[in-house]
Amino acid sequence: MKPSQFGYARPANVEEAVRLLQEADGSAKVMAGGQSLGPLLNLRLAQPSLIIDITAIRELTLVREEKDAIVYGACVTHASVEDRRVPDATNGFLPSVAAGIAYRAVRNRGTMGGSLAHADPAADWMTTLTALGAEILVAGSAGERRVALDQFMTAPFSVALEDSEFIIGIRIRRYSQAARFGYFKFCRKRGEFAEAMGAVVIDPELGIRRGIIGATDSRPILVPDMDACLRPSGEGIQAAKAMIAAMKIADDPVRDGMHANAFARALKQVAQ
Amino acid sequence: MNDLSLTVNGEKISSLVEPRTSLADLLREQMNLTGTHLGCEQGVCGACTILVDGVPVRSCISNATACGGAEVRTIEDFDRDPLMIELRQAFNAHHALQCGFCTPGMLIMARDIVMRLHGADEARIRIELAGNLCRCTGYAGIVKAIRSVIVSRQEALPPRPPASLPLGPAGSGHASAGNALVHVEKNGLATADAQDKPLQVKAAAAPAPLAGKRAPAVKQSFSVAAPQPVVWERFGDVPSMIRCIPGASLVSQEADGTYQIKMRVKMGPIGAEFAGVARQERNDDALTGIIHGSGRDARSASLAEGQLTYRLVDENNGESTRVDIEVSYQLSGALAQFARGGIVTHFIGAITTQFAENLSRSLSSAGTEEEVVEPGELRIAGSFAGALKAWLVDLLRSPFRK
Repeated sequence: MKPSQFGYARPANVEEAVRLLQEADGSAKVMAGGQSLGPLLNLRLAQPSLIIDITAIRELTLVREEKDAIVYGACVTHASVEDRRVPDATNGFLPSVAAGIAYRAVRNRGTMGGSLAHADPAADWMTTLTALGAEILVAGSAGERRVALDQFMTAPFSVALEDSEFIIGIRIRRYSQAARFGYFKFCRKRGEFAEAMGAVVIDPELGIRRGIIGATDSRPILVPDMDACLRPSGEGIQAAKAMIAAMKIADDPVRDGMHANAFARALKQVAQ
Repeated sequence: MNDLSLTVNGEKISSLVEPRTSLADLLREQMNLTGTHLGCEQGVCGACTILVDGVPVRSCISNATACGGAEVRTIEDFDRDPLMIELRQAFNAHHALQCGFCTPGMLIMARDIVMRLHGADEARIRIELAGNLCRCTGYAGIVKAIRSVIVSRQEALPPRPPASLPLGPAGSGHASAGNALVHVEKNGLATADAQDKPLQVKAAAAPAPLAGKRAPAVKQSFSVAAPQPVVWERFGDVPSMIRCIPGASLVSQEADGTYQIKMRVKMGPIGAEFAGVARQERNDDALTGIIHGSGRDARSASLAEGQLTYRLVDENNGESTRVDIEVSYQLSGALAQFARGGIVTHFIGAITTQFAENLSRSLSSAGTEEEVVEPGELRIAGSFAGALKAWLVDLLRSPFRK
């Protein structure tokens, strides 16, 4: 239950981190708070040759406000979002999601960027930020680029990053005052990995109607027909349940039912 | 080894640590502060919770070097802390502990709850305590104890404004970058040592018989553009079958008809290399067969055991063959502890899909054999993304079809 040996580097800036990643040629692992990587290291399921600690890179713990978006540094912790120590682009949705991630002692070190890079299918940010249409800011040997989060996760624990690349920030558009958000997850116990989750984002002013099914066995899934889900007086909820159950996401009646109901409960939160 | 400086319980300390050392191990093994308990060592149980820069963190999954320069407080530092004195008395009065193993973590969390959440009711306390496991008390006494301190404090003290905290991980941002770099000791690398060590292969505990012991993980059918006798012959040829399994390679063929095999799997940062044995049983009349395999990943001490059952059916007047395969598996050890069933099934599904593709390709040109895959590691992301995309497209196209 101890990690196997690794080297440790704490670069001062993004360029140095990229150089270290390039030199390591795929054998290094970037670490922020280490709350997902830590267990993998302890179980020896991950055995990188080098850990690159990016928490000394100052810009990664900053938040930048743009006119129509907020860019969160990759190393901003869940607790910082939960406590509203950072500006919020979502009328309180981000803090409410953050408060439900694992446990406070984990949230004090776990980071948004780290969670997305780890790409656990049951992670809260992967599902909710996909629903928010977030973009990932990536730095690498070819410079910086932006990736839409719904294109970022490729498979369980796998993301579209080259060996020399890592996440430096998360860009979330500012939602209007009229925006409504819903999020629900089924966990055996509070803080445990979710078995099903649903997220809904509606912004009439921006013309956004998006629903995401998370905690699948792989990537988050976009709900195909949100118009049907938003029909009035309970009709939409019934349509959503039938639609999602028919998708047979887990190909198991119990888990498919959980996905349908988790999404229905998220949908209820935005129903008017 | 690198020189690490920290403040522990008010004292500045300097210590030589390996980069892999966790805060918990530093405190317990080098400083003899054994009040910090280690339960699960994967961030689940909460017994190792300590304060770093004033906030609770899991010391078992917090890298010590990454917390260089931080201020650490363990349970030993709270003897004279007024709030902790109150909490200890309340724990005592409400029978909030029995064996005491969880208590150091419980007290650290309890103190944080009282200070951070003014007026937390019982429901909120239970939510906040969800990350600390107690196997003795059933939590009722612990919750009551914390609630009683909250009530008495509310009467005594006005709420304090929350402290301003940094935005990054607790404990980070103190130690300087650059000059704190630790050399990567090439000869000490884990990957090298895992490869150099001879892989001890236990002459397999014979794999369990087929009869319905485990739920099948994956069933797939696919057509191969080759007549059934050709496909049947190929399935009988274990070495060329192994070549079609992504990540698998043949080490040797034994006199008793079994095969020593290796299989490397990789899913994101998770990697394992299973070494073990495989054997095949065939029924020529029914055109069915079972390939059993079992192996051990020496690095994570995980055991895997699985079997692939196949059946061949004539198609298109004997021009092509339908292959029905069913894969079941059992995992134990670290990998099983970590992996959730659905993800493993999904992963095996990906391997099976690739196996089917490789087999079809290797049989396509009238059964002539070609090199199909690098017997290297399976990178699920690349090849599987395509299959996943096709599946998603299909899924999105036909949500109401059923």
